[in-house]
Amino acid sequence: MMTIDPALIRNFCIIAHIDHGKSTLADRLLEATNAVSERDKKDQFLDNMELERERGITIKAQTARMNFTAEDGKTYVLNLIDTPGHVDFSYEVSRALSACEGALLIVDAAQGIEAQTLANAYLAVEANLELIPVVNKIDLPSADPDRVAQEIEDVIGLDAADVLPVSAKTGVGIDAILQAIVDRIPPPAGEATAPAQALIFDAYFDSYVGVVMIVRVVNGVLHKRERIKFMVAGIEQEITRLDVIDPTPRSVDSLAAGEVGMVIAGIKTLGDIKIGDTITTAAKGAAEALAGFQEVKAMVFTGLYPVDSEDYEDLKVALEKLKLNDASISYEPETSAALGFGFRCGFLGFLHAEIVQERLEREYDLDLITTAPTVRYLVVPRDGDPFEIESPAALPESAEIHEIQEPVVLATIHVPSDYLGAVLGLCQDRRGVQKDMGVHGTRVQVRYELPLNEIVTDFHDRLKSATRGYGSFDYDLVGFRPADLVKLDVMVNGDAVDALSLIVHKDKAYGRGSELTKKLKEFIPRQQFPIAIQAAIGSRIIARTTVRAVRKNVLAKCYGGDITRKRKLLEKQKAGKKRMKMVGSVEIPQEAFLAALRLGDD
Amino acid sequence: MAEDFDVFDDGAVGVYLHLPFCERICPYCDFAVVAAPELGAGREARYVSNLLTELKARRSDFEGRALASLYFGGGTPSLFTPQSIRELALAVGAAFAERGDDAAGGRVPEIETTLEVNPSTIEWARLPDFRAAGINRLSIGVQSFNDTLLKRLGRAHRAPIARETLCAARAAGFDNLSIDLIFAAPGESQGDLARDLDELLEWEPEHISTYELTFEPETPFGRALAAGKMNSCDEDLAADMTLQIEGRLKASGFGRYEISNYSRGEETRSQHNQRYWQRQAVLGLGMGAHSAEARSAGLPHGARRANPRRLGEWEERIRTDPARTGDEERLSVAGSRGEAVFLALRQAEGLSALRFEAEFGGSPRVFFEAEIEAMIRRGWLIEGGRVAGDLRLSDLGRLLADDVAAEFVAAV
Repeated sequence: MMTIDPALIRNFCIIAHIDHGKSTLADRLLEATNAVSERDKKDQFLDNMELERERGITIKAQTARMNFTAEDGKTYVLNLIDTPGHVDFSYEVSRALSACEGALLIVDAAQGIEAQTLANAYLAVEANLELIPVVNKIDLPSADPDRVAQEIEDVIGLDAADVLPVSAKTGVGIDAILQAIVDRIPPPAGEATAPAQALIFDAYFDSYVGVVMIVRVVNGVLHKRERIKFMVAGIEQEITRLDVIDPTPRSVDSLAAGEVGMVIAGIKTLGDIKIGDTITTAAKGAAEALAGFQEVKAMVFTGLYPVDSEDYEDLKVALEKLKLNDASISYEPETSAALGFGFRCGFLGFLHAEIVQERLEREYDLDLITTAPTVRYLVVPRDGDPFEIESPAALPESAEIHEIQEPVVLATIHVPSDYLGAVLGLCQDRRGVQKDMGVHGTRVQVRYELPLNEIVTDFHDRLKSATRGYGSFDYDLVGFRPADLVKLDVMVNGDAVDALSLIVHKDKAYGRGSELTKKLKEFIPRQQFPIAIQAAIGSRIIARTTVRAVRKNVLAKCYGGDITRKRKLLEKQKAGKKRMKMVGSVEIPQEAFLAALRLGDD
Repeated sequence: MAEDFDVFDDGAVGVYLHLPFCERICPYCDFAVVAAPELGAGREARYVSNLLTELKARRSDFEGRALASLYFGGGTPSLFTPQSIRELALAVGAAFAERGDDAAGGRVPEIETTLEVNPSTIEWARLPDFRAAGINRLSIGVQSFNDTLLKRLGRAHRAPIARETLCAARAAGFDNLSIDLIFAAPGESQGDLARDLDELLEWEPEHISTYELTFEPETPFGRALAAGKMNSCDEDLAADMTLQIEGRLKASGFGRYEISNYSRGEETRSQHNQRYWQRQAVLGLGMGAHSAEARSAGLPHGARRANPRRLGEWEERIRTDPARTGDEERLSVAGSRGEAVFLALRQAEGLSALRFEAEFGGSPRVFFEAEIEAMIRRGWLIEGGRVAGDLRLSDLGRLLADDVAAEFVAAV
């Protein structure tokens, strides 16, 4: 059995803003080290889901091992650890970073530093990583590598002289990167003879072997067929397979301190293990788990209902399958008087929610009605202990509430200075509190504390349109703050439409209420009686509109002998009525819900 | 087989001839029409010849039935020459004996014979010849006497031409005139409608049809509405206009005998159109025409036949199987029951419980107890009248006739 000298190992990751060329650069590194043959090569090897490719976001982390012969003539093992590229997985990003000793920080030579560049750089610095700044896309006509290098020095504090100019597209500068990884990133520390400690920084479900864990061995050695213990989860299993990924899995007998690889240990579902957990040996194991573990909690919730109630079972099966690959999704059955049977689903953030909904609709061909996203609130009652709620329906009567606290994020926003005014206006409108602002050339970096519920629906889209796509945004949860929040109900003829209830800030309740009532009025057809559409906080009506009773419904023409057509029209009219949802005695077409729930997206 | 008829089959037949050509197509029209800026003698002759072939092939389905009405509809049938119209009327007369007259053929029929006339294309010099050809009733597509509205409706004609046409019709000796009026046109006010009704009544027609402008999906107007480029009339205004028309026409001695139709007396009601509403036999000939075949041993509720809406397709069928130009729809018992109710309710007399029971073996309440109760409770339906169990719409129900009707059909 051959173990690798830790001095010849380098573990690194690549951090970058979306579209700054992270995946293309990874491909070049793999090619340059012959880890990927031309035949295996897809455009972006590491992004394996169709959706990731389309959105340019890496959703599940992967990893790959390369052999590189450096200038000193020695062959090094370079483990590229891929990190999820979006903000809702920041905990997973932090675990992946803690599996490395260094990071390539990629910045687009034309665009310069963006919000995500910075947020990830801070995370990397926190994780004590050696940062190698790389300016990519120097082949672009609009590239200005010197300016961007200076920006890296000014904003992040890395010496401009250390910046490597690269074109991942043409391959220029790739060898210099590989050499810099060997020269600048320290080899893994860790004791090969100490009790085993391996960090699970990623995992996915494979339908053949069950759960596959991606681990970084920090101390000691893991062996095939060895009994292991998961220190946080508290379970024991036997390792059935150990693989390194170069870049397709290859079986090995052991993984020693400093190495990265895959562990398969007969675990059936992702829910059984936890990202950030420490694996040790069952016998003579480590006394303590590695630092940094956190329980991951869903922060954004929506009700998902099939448009056609017959698709309920299909939706259930689809959620089960998705959860196999993404343990951070939670769901439980929920019944709405208005929408029928569905699920209350929890997500790490709103991007996560969007991606899951898109996958359900695209990969599972489901038509869904999604209720307005809500966040986790902390309710402090007058009597009893504080508790968290995930749905407006769970909010008690206002008389019983002492205080409601809402989650707040620290948002980092990068914009060209021309658009600063629009961005400040947007943040102000979303109850933001400015923390600081810095100007770097023509770009401004501004940080705001923003309530999460103000950014869950359309903040990102609004920011993009207010800045013509030039603004970028990243956020990090900072905690719960008390706020003047109320539950807004929508009622038709006195009956609450449960699917449309919302928790909103008091100052926004009126505007939201009148928007909702107006939109419903547009879509609820006139019926035999007048219909009052009201928005209410508790028993107080804050907006009201009326759909008048039907006056006339008769088609004039009934001649020329085409009685069949007339009959079919009437039959269709009747069928249309049958498809409506009843709220009290009022018939509400599905389009009315869709339109009301889409408010704010437009 | 004439002696075979019963309480719901009068044993007669009405004949409808569809002449689909129009000089231009109105943007709200979804009828089966063919644009023909110039009809041309060859095209006209070919169409007439095809109609005669179809008549010959189809008449056996209506064997032994007396001719009750003849109707030339369109399209713009007045684009055809009086000679063609006469040839067709003679052929129909020869095919069916008139009621109470066993000597078929050789002369034009004396039953109600209607020609639809379009003010924009009529050569009023031809009207006396149409009269001589056997036409005894004209249905004139005036639509409005307001040039602004006519323009907005995309009509080719203007009010002065409509007036000339009406004068010429009276001068030619027509004593049974029907005028079509469209209301709830874009931008039309109740004042506009009042002026239209005033002038309409000055012409003292025997019959009036009023149609609320409908935005049919597959028309330029329908597409403009869907694209938000046009607005339909406000529902309340359209309801008020419906009531305005009814009030004004009733005060002038007209009876509203069907949702959209008014006549001065029972004898000037449209005999032909009533056949559809009363579910009597009609032989429809021509592209896009509909036939209603009476019930028979194999077809307890009769059948319908819809001819192809495309000219080429209809012509092809004439060549290959002129007896079966249209696709047959055999009526189910449930479908027929629903139709019997909603068609009857659109008429002033309403639904006869006796006639319904004779056809379906039970009174309306046997089949529609819950629906009838609900409609009476809402005040949309009135029960009783000459015979217990008869049903008719209330004033409110007439405005909501489709909502009432939908209760009596099956959801699909």
